[in-house]
Amino acid sequence: MRLLRLFRRLTRLLSVAVPHAVKASVVAAVVITAIARPLSAQFLLVPMDDGQRNHLKAYGVTYLALQTGQKAEWFLNYRGGAFLLPDRADLRRRAALDGVSVEPITDAGVSAARAEIAGGNMDVVVLERAPKIAIYRPVNQPPWDDAVTLALTYAGIEFSSVWDDEVLTGDLSKYDWVHLHHEDFTGQFNKLYLAYRDAPWFVQQRERDMATARKFGKADVPAAKKAVAEAIRGFVDRGGFLFAMCGATESLDLAIAAFAVDIAGPFSDGTPPAADADARMDWTKSLAFSGAHIEPSPYINALSDIDGHQVNVPARRQPLGMFTLFEFSAKLDPVAAMLVQNHRTVIPDFYGVTTSFNRAVIKPGVTVLATEEGAPWTKYLHGDYGKGSWTFLGGHDPEDAQHAIGSPPTDLSLRPNSPGYRLILNNVLFPAAKKKPRKT
Amino acid sequence: MARHRRNRFGFALLTAVFVLGSAMGAAGAQGRTATASAGAAADTLDPLSRALDAEDRGQLVVAASAYREVLQRALIPGGSDGDRVALALLGLERVWAEMGARDSILPVVRRVLTIRPTDPTAHSIQLRSLVALARDDEARESFAMWRRAAGNDGAPYREYARLLLAQGRAQAADSVLADAGRLLGAAGMLSGEVAQLHVALNRWQAAAVAFRESFADQPYLETAALYGLQRAPAEARDSIRTVLLANPVQLLPRRLLSALELSWGEPRRAWAAIASVQPDDSTAASWRAFGERAEVAQSWLVARDAWSAVFERRGDLEAQQRAAQAALNADDADGALVIVRRPTTNVEKNGTNGTTGVATTNRDVIRLQTLLPIEIAALGELGRPAEAQQRLDAASKQLDPQAREAMARPLVTAYLRAGDLTRAKAAVQGTDLEDDDETAGWFALYEGDLVTARKRLVRAATQRATLVDALGLLARTRTAQSPALGRAFLLLAQRDSARAAKAFVALADTLADAAPALLGLGARLSDAPTALTLWDRVIATWPTSPEAAESLLASARARRAANDIPSATARLERLLIEYPTSALLPQARRELEQLRGQVPPSESASQFPRAFR
Repeated sequence: MRLLRLFRRLTRLLSVAVPHAVKASVVAAVVITAIARPLSAQFLLVPMDDGQRNHLKAYGVTYLALQTGQKAEWFLNYRGGAFLLPDRADLRRRAALDGVSVEPITDAGVSAARAEIAGGNMDVVVLERAPKIAIYRPVNQPPWDDAVTLALTYAGIEFSSVWDDEVLTGDLSKYDWVHLHHEDFTGQFNKLYLAYRDAPWFVQQRERDMATARKFGKADVPAAKKAVAEAIRGFVDRGGFLFAMCGATESLDLAIAAFAVDIAGPFSDGTPPAADADARMDWTKSLAFSGAHIEPSPYINALSDIDGHQVNVPARRQPLGMFTLFEFSAKLDPVAAMLVQNHRTVIPDFYGVTTSFNRAVIKPGVTVLATEEGAPWTKYLHGDYGKGSWTFLGGHDPEDAQHAIGSPPTDLSLRPNSPGYRLILNNVLFPAAKKKPRKT
Repeated sequence: MARHRRNRFGFALLTAVFVLGSAMGAAGAQGRTATASAGAAADTLDPLSRALDAEDRGQLVVAASAYREVLQRALIPGGSDGDRVALALLGLERVWAEMGARDSILPVVRRVLTIRPTDPTAHSIQLRSLVALARDDEARESFAMWRRAAGNDGAPYREYARLLLAQGRAQAADSVLADAGRLLGAAGMLSGEVAQLHVALNRWQAAAVAFRESFADQPYLETAALYGLQRAPAEARDSIRTVLLANPVQLLPRRLLSALELSWGEPRRAWAAIASVQPDDSTAASWRAFGERAEVAQSWLVARDAWSAVFERRGDLEAQQRAAQAALNADDADGALVIVRRPTTNVEKNGTNGTTGVATTNRDVIRLQTLLPIEIAALGELGRPAEAQQRLDAASKQLDPQAREAMARPLVTAYLRAGDLTRAKAAVQGTDLEDDDETAGWFALYEGDLVTARKRLVRAATQRATLVDALGLLARTRTAQSPALGRAFLLLAQRDSARAAKAFVALADTLADAAPALLGLGARLSDAPTALTLWDRVIATWPTSPEAAESLLASARARRAANDIPSATARLERLLIEYPTSALLPQARRELEQLRGQVPPSESASQFPRAFR
């Protein structure tokens, strides 16, 4: 009926001084379009459950949508945390190139999904704009030694690299999201001095850091790194999103809390740590931890007792287990729910300079996102700080449980469905979400 | 001054003996008494057994305590049990290091050295611990003390230099080894360490010199030299070659160079390095080993040369056969023919050892059965089937039926190589090949009988590339007869790939249903520019054919090889977008990710040493 009415209307419109052949072809074209339109989808659903062939690159496709000015929606807890994108040629093309599964979906299909979402522990979060991303890393470092750089490179998400110079000159304000990895912000070079003090790579790293300290008028590397840590803290305080993994989590908080205390070994600043360092730590400014005990011995390769696994101290090393992602109320706690979207809830643990976080030193109010059942440590933390927020994930590489210096790089094309790497990418998209008032 | 030091040392020793004697004497005596009286049951109470068991179970504190007990009992002034002292010290070192208390070993070692001042284990543990703990000044003192105690022994220098090298402190190791050369006057004793030092400092030529010198006394360093020197960058390799090739020509340096060249991907140079060594039994053994490695690496030309050299030296049939087969595999049929026609002087290994007429006959038969198939195949490759037939006829009396059967296939190949299908068919008469599906299928195909060819070839046991090509083509056409297609495949059998390619391309106009497959096959046999044209034609004209996706991938690879990255990328993207169900998608996606730098290159292992991150 609708088509018939359309046909009559068009015929009337074209009845004035238009040749019959032209008239017929225009009418035919419009009718064909009208018939075809309901068959083409208005949206692309990117499933993130086991139906997805490449979970990691799906984040890249979603990021592309935001980057090109389109809006996306994140269906929390629906089909593994699916994304809803507009059905556009560039997105279809990118999905096809990347091997990302997409399902064309009509308005009716979207309505059905929304109805299902409304009735369960699910919610819809609108993603508005592509966050500007910076990774704290030396500019000339290859991308294969840091899980976040690996994940973003593989997913095709653009990022900039920032290092001490940029942080200390205030460049972080250009970015929405900053990532830190295994940097030691206490300036003790992850206590690798003992074993590698004459290794060319170590000497090069130390000289680079000492040059930075001199350039910015700092007495030594610990002082310079503390200044960097303080600038990062300020970035979060002013509304930035921080994601840290591995040793950067622990050392950042230690550096912030020890801003006025010497906790560094003599190999880094020429003096032993203050004897009363523990007592003088100012935990009021730190992000996640308080009351941790500083490890004063330069011979013990640990910075403090924050890490539960202590992988580089053989006598203290704890075995790896599995960690479980908590389920949050998508409607009441959308932020936490976003950060744990996954197609797996139990994930094998993986070592890093800092692998996990002892519960005893976690500040009250910090949200624990994942933990190992029965263990005194947790794996994945999130919290608000000032106007911003931070997330800490322990461990170095989710797909290389015992990653050591010198291990070959992880090839993510062989692990496109990595649940561990999804946690990293959840954090990348989280700052894109339209802000909603938190209900709890 | 020296006398004063001796007095002081003597006083310290006496004091230590007195103190330790009074502290441990009772315990030691008790321990010995208990051991004697308890008999076999004492084993379970033996502190050393307990220590080792506890260490195995990870009970480090218990193990440490037991090791201390062992030490206490074994360390008796004037009558220590050196072995148990060493075991206890090494155990304590391990256990305390695991417990993060490495420095706890130091006072214990000091005490042991007071009683056993020349104990090499105690000295090395002390030095090792101090170096690991970064107590550099004390480590130097410890080294000096050990050096004084050891006299002209090079062990302290070796140990200290090795520790420093392991920590990447090559300059410090350099000083130690220089001292050794100066004080001991025998740098050769430490030439292995000196060589390692040069490797650590990237002084490749000096390292090669030091390794070469060390071979005189320490031939076992050959493997260490190979491991150290193979990391030399390409620009430094010529200097290593110069050192190892220098006169006098010696087997060990040449063998090292040969192994290095193999690891650097230079098999021809590898063979050249050992080819000119004076032949003797050791050299022949090296050549034999080299020939086997070259076979595994499928470096057939150098395998041919190595086995020829072994044959020259030893004259044995096995070497002759392997040399000829390697030559044949290397497409050197002429060379293979020359080798098989040389007389064998040593056939003992093959079962004959007499000098009687019967034995001689047996030898000839064995030689014939071993070498004739290669000779026939070589003649076939050279397009001399008549000669092959003649050789076979001449030898037929000496061959049993089974051996004759074995010669049929190379003879058929010889005729086909010459393009003589009629004689090839005649050659299979009366042999098992008459019933062979593959042989019958090929004959049918060459004659253009595609129906029979399809039926027989599909049952063939082998999966050679040409067979797969033929089956692929036959599956794409419903034509029953095509003599032109048969002729094209016969050209392939004659190894005339250029004319075969043209024939397949020409057939694309007549065998329309198989056109893309014919063009794809033609492209594979053609040079790169022609192949690119053919692939583009397949993509443009038959975009829905199975060969279109294959052509896109092949042309992307060819363009990538020509460093035309944008074109390669465009083709891979087109394959991924337009052929979403193609089986080639994973390969295409992988190659696209590599082009975009989204996955690590295969050789991108980090330069850093191992420690957890």
